[in-house]
Amino acid sequence: MGKRVPGSLGEVGASLPDLSNEEVLRYSRHLLLPEVALEGQQRIKASRVLCVGTGGLGSPLALYLAAAGVGTLGVIDFDTVDQTNLQRQIIHTTEDVGRAKVASASEKIHAINPNVSVRAFDAKLTSANALELFREFDIIADGTDNFATRYLVNDACVLTGKPNVYASVFRFEGQASVFATEQGPCYRCLYPEPPPPGAVPSCAEGGVLGVLPGLLGVIQATEVLKLILGAGETLIGRLLLIDALDMRFREVKLRKASACPICGTNRTIHELIDYEQFCGVRGEEKPVTAALPEIQPEELKSRLDAGEDVLILDVRELHEYQICNLHGRLIPIGELPQRLGELDPNREIVAHCKLGGRSAKAVEFLRSQGFRDVKNLAGGIMRWAEKVDPSMPRY
Amino acid sequence: MIHATKIRVVLPAHLKTLAHVTGEVTLEISGEATQRAVLDALEARYPVLCGTVRDHVTKQRRPFVRFFACEQDLSHELPDSRLPEAVVLGTEPFLVVGAIAGG
Repeated sequence: MGKRVPGSLGEVGASLPDLSNEEVLRYSRHLLLPEVALEGQQRIKASRVLCVGTGGLGSPLALYLAAAGVGTLGVIDFDTVDQTNLQRQIIHTTEDVGRAKVASASEKIHAINPNVSVRAFDAKLTSANALELFREFDIIADGTDNFATRYLVNDACVLTGKPNVYASVFRFEGQASVFATEQGPCYRCLYPEPPPPGAVPSCAEGGVLGVLPGLLGVIQATEVLKLILGAGETLIGRLLLIDALDMRFREVKLRKASACPICGTNRTIHELIDYEQFCGVRGEEKPVTAALPEIQPEELKSRLDAGEDVLILDVRELHEYQICNLHGRLIPIGELPQRLGELDPNREIVAHCKLGGRSAKAVEFLRSQGFRDVKNLAGGIMRWAEKVDPSMPRY
Repeated sequence: MIHATKIRVVLPAHLKTLAHVTGEVTLEISGEATQRAVLDALEARYPVLCGTVRDHVTKQRRPFVRFFACEQDLSHELPDSRLPEAVVLGTEPFLVVGAIAGG
């Protein structure tokens, strides 16, 4: 056995479960590693790990933890498998589209390793259920896809004293660390507040290389196993930054923040809060600012059919425009300040993006620049595809 | 004659998209190479980034953004502190790291 790392699971000694002959054979390559060996494999069997989310990160994470022999594997997800998931969420197959993700994931986990006891929760992790749920596990692995749940996972980990094995991805970039141990910082120490809604696009808006969550999910699985084994050096107090496009791995040091409201010296958060409110509801299907004027796709369609003079302003990127478009004027949101002169401030403008978030910012910006009649297309071009033109490709 | 220092800056993906850049950005700083000088130069070159890394008015770092260089967290350094020598010499980049949530 290697040195026991800070934050690792405590000694469980005599209560370690025996391995059957089938298990000895199955895990033989682990048993040959001095850092694992028989006792380490027994520790893995005795461990209880909760994967929050069975998406891009959760897929490889759950599959590898199952293959490694984690005794009790929890999976929580309220979502169903969608066609757009299949490019990266490798625990789900084409035949699973429409099924509950936890049902699909449980099946694959059993197929890989029937020795694993799967606890599937077809539910949303909330402030009401997180603490009770986390107490039933030793380690929590955060594979969620939004800021509200990330802060919820962090806070629930700190309050229950469970390590939070963290990773996140966007486009070609990923971040990984191990938070919420006594020795190291928590997620709030790193990012005390989330970005305002819409400031950082989601993967649904900005895209993600399908392999990337695989890479990060495998790193999470590695950290989980090291915590169980007490071997090696975990990512506690370190943030791993991965740029898959340049294939560059950087590591930076993190410190516990004394001013952290949940793990600092003067704690102000003693219980879970309303995380949707804390982060602002991420309006993937709604405009970011509810007060902004918007127009429904059906109404826009009928007005365009009636020949009304409305300029469609598409603030997406060229590569998105090429997938599908409304024949509007393409000015990516990043170029809007420089290209304002191309727009008539007296003309009615309907701005849109994919889902409505970026165009809401564009509407806000144009109004601040004196454009009086600017509206946001509610739900973006994806809602147009759903409500007006089902033949339009969706992405 | 004032010597200009070239500072390599790595931006997070969403800010690269906003600024329409790929890879690292190299900024020329005249005078002392500080965080403030780098961020002023960044915002001068890419006005669309104003308000994304620092608050528009207070010029304070946003709480969902961190600064790193040479593996060290510089987020709580004073804005007018000199950057690490390796950054000033251009052997190491100044990293602007932002919170991401994709999974």
